[in-house]
Amino acid sequence: MVIPRLLVTTALALGFAGVAPAADPAPDFSLPTATGVIKLQSLRGKTVYLDFWASWCGPCRKSFPWMNEMRRRYADRGLVIVTVNVDKDRKLADRFLEEYPADFTVAYDPEGKVASTYKVKGMPSSYLIDRAGYIRYRHIGFREAAKAEIESQIESLLAP
Amino acid sequence: MQLKRHQPIRGALAAATCALVSAAPGMAWAVEAGGDWNVDSALLVYSEIDRVTVVEPLVNMKKQIGEDEYLSGKLVLDAMTGASPNGATATNRPQTFTSPSGNLYTAPAGETPLRDFRDQRVAVSGEWDKPLDRMLRGLFGASLSGETDYTSVGASAQLNWDVNDRLTTLSAGLAYYADTVNPESGAPVGLATVATATTGGNALSKDTADLLLGVTQVVNRRTLTQLNYSHSAASGYLTDPYKIVSIVDGTTGETVDYRYEKRPDSRARDAVFWKLVYRLPEDVIHLSYRYLWDDWGVASHTADIKYRYELDGGAYVQPHLRYYAQTAADFYRHSLINGAALPEHASADYRLGDLTTITAGLKYGWSPTKRANWSARVEYMLQSGESHPSDAIGVQKDQNLFPDVAAWILQVSYSAQF
Amino acid sequence: MCMRLRIALLLPLASLIAGCAFERVAPWDRDLLAESKMQLIPDPLESYLDEHIYFSKEASSGGQGVGGGGCGCN
Repeated sequence: MVIPRLLVTTALALGFAGVAPAADPAPDFSLPTATGVIKLQSLRGKTVYLDFWASWCGPCRKSFPWMNEMRRRYADRGLVIVTVNVDKDRKLADRFLEEYPADFTVAYDPEGKVASTYKVKGMPSSYLIDRAGYIRYRHIGFREAAKAEIESQIESLLAP
Repeated sequence: MQLKRHQPIRGALAAATCALVSAAPGMAWAVEAGGDWNVDSALLVYSEIDRVTVVEPLVNMKKQIGEDEYLSGKLVLDAMTGASPNGATATNRPQTFTSPSGNLYTAPAGETPLRDFRDQRVAVSGEWDKPLDRMLRGLFGASLSGETDYTSVGASAQLNWDVNDRLTTLSAGLAYYADTVNPESGAPVGLATVATATTGGNALSKDTADLLLGVTQVVNRRTLTQLNYSHSAASGYLTDPYKIVSIVDGTTGETVDYRYEKRPDSRARDAVFWKLVYRLPEDVIHLSYRYLWDDWGVASHTADIKYRYELDGGAYVQPHLRYYAQTAADFYRHSLINGAALPEHASADYRLGDLTTITAGLKYGWSPTKRANWSARVEYMLQSGESHPSDAIGVQKDQNLFPDVAAWILQVSYSAQF
Repeated sequence: MCMRLRIALLLPLASLIAGCAFERVAPWDRDLLAESKMQLIPDPLESYLDEHIYFSKEASSGGQGVGGGGCGCN
C-alpha cells in the first residue's frame, strides 16, 4: 500500500495526470447547491465524477460541454457528475454557468474547504470515485488529449 | 540618430519574451475568454520638442495552434524624421558641418548642432510558445529588422519551469543577434579629424549574446514578484558612425576642429531586475527597479511605478512615473582639448553622459465589449545632464553643454479576441 | 567567524523569506493572480514601445527579458 501511494504521490508531483487506481476513500462532504445540499456519501453505489472548477479557469470552459456529454452518455448506467465551484463570489460562478450551462450538479465551496480536503493541485481537478466510494483516478487540468482516456476510465468503473 | 539608432527587432523579441516570463506561476490555466486569435495593435507617436519625431504603428497577431500552444507574429513600422545632435557642443560661433550624404548644415552660435535625418524601419518577428511538459514551457523566437543603414537578425529561446506547486517559476533564456551596420558613405576611422577622415568600410558587424535567469514567485493571493539577472555581451562595431566630438582650444574653449567618435569594440553588461505586482481590493500597483552596470563605466538605476485605478464598467486610469539615472561611460567627453594626447576612445553622445530621465504619464483604458480593449496614454519625458560641467573651458562656460531633451509620448492601443 | 556570523544572520532571513513571506496560495485561491491586470507584463505592446524609446535615449536597456532591447550601440 505504501509503495503504490508513494508512486502516486510522486507521479502527481511530477505532473502526470490520470494515475492508475489509488484506492483512497473519497472524503465525504456536504455542500450547498442551487436546489439544496449534496452529500457525497448519499451517492454510494454510483460512479461519481467529481470536478473542482472556477470561473477564472480557462480549461474549465472546455470541460463543461464535455461533462454534459458524459452525463448524457453514461447517466443511465450509473454515472453521476458532481462539480464543486471554488469561486469566492458565487455571482462569478453563476455568470459562468449562464455562458457554459451545466446539466449536472454544481455545488459551492467558496472557502475551498472541500478542495483542501481533496488536496486539489490545479484548476480544474477531477476525481473518479467508484461505487464503493474509493478514488480510483485523479486528473489535474483538462486537456483535449485526455478526454478519451478519462472516458475509458469511466467505462471501466461502470462495467458490471 | 536619436530614436533611430539600432533598435533592432530585438526589442520586439524582448517584449514577447517578457510576456512569457510574465505569465504568473500557476497561471497556465488562466487563458483569456474567447477564440483562437488575439490581435494587439498600437500606434505610437514620440515627439521631441525641436528634435526627432517618430511615428510607429505595430500589430501583433497570436493564434492558438494547440492546447496551450501559441504562434505569434509581429510587424512594426517606424518613420523617423527630425533633427538629432551630431555630438558637437554649442559654441560662441555658428558651426557648419557636412552631413553623411554630403549636404552642408549650420548650427547658430550658442546652439547645440543638430543634423536633420529621415529614416524608416521595418521589423518582423515570430514566436512559438509551446508546452514541453505539464510544468515546462518553451518560447522560441526569431526576428528580422531593417532600416537604411542597419539590419538585425536574431533568435531566442527561453524555458520556463513551474515548480513548488506552480507558486514558483524558474526561467532561463538565451538570445543571439547578428547585426550589420552600413553607414551612408562608409564608417569613418575612429577619432580621425572629420575634414580629412578616410572611411573604414561598409557592412560592419556587431554580435550580441544575451542570457537571462529569473525567478517568479507568488508571494500571497494578492502579490507576485519577479527577480531577474541578465548578462549581455556585445562585440564588433559599437561606434555611432555619424557622431563627432568637438575639439576645443585649451585656453579659450573655442571649437577649432571635430573628430569622429570611437567606442570600444566590446561591451559586457549585467542587470538585476526586480518587479512587484500588488493588488489592492480592486486597483493594481506595478513596481519595478533595475540596477544595471557595464564595463564601459555606465551604472544606472531605474525605478518605475504604475497605479491602475479601477473605474466603473471595467474602465481604468493609470498614472505612471519613471525615474532613471545613469553615470557616464568612462570615455564620454563633452569635448576634447586641442593638442592634448587623444584618448583611446571618446564619444560626446549625450546618451553616454551623466543623465537623468524623468517620465510622467497617464493612461486610460476601457472595454467596449468583453473581447475588445482600448487604451490611450500620454506621457511627458524630460532628460537632463550636466549643462555646465566643472571642466568647461573659456567660452564653454557660457554655453549649455547638455541641453535638456523633452518629449511627448502618445499612444493608442486596441486589442481584440476572435 | 565573520562567515559564520553571516550564515547565522542569513539563514533566518532566508527561511523567513521562504517560509513566512511567501504564502502557499492554494490553487483555488489564485483567482486574483489569474487576472490579466495582475500579470507581470499586462500590456506587452506598451512594454515593447517603452523599451524601444528608452533603449534609444539611454545607455541602459534590458533586464526584464532576454534581449531586453539592448544592443550596446547606444
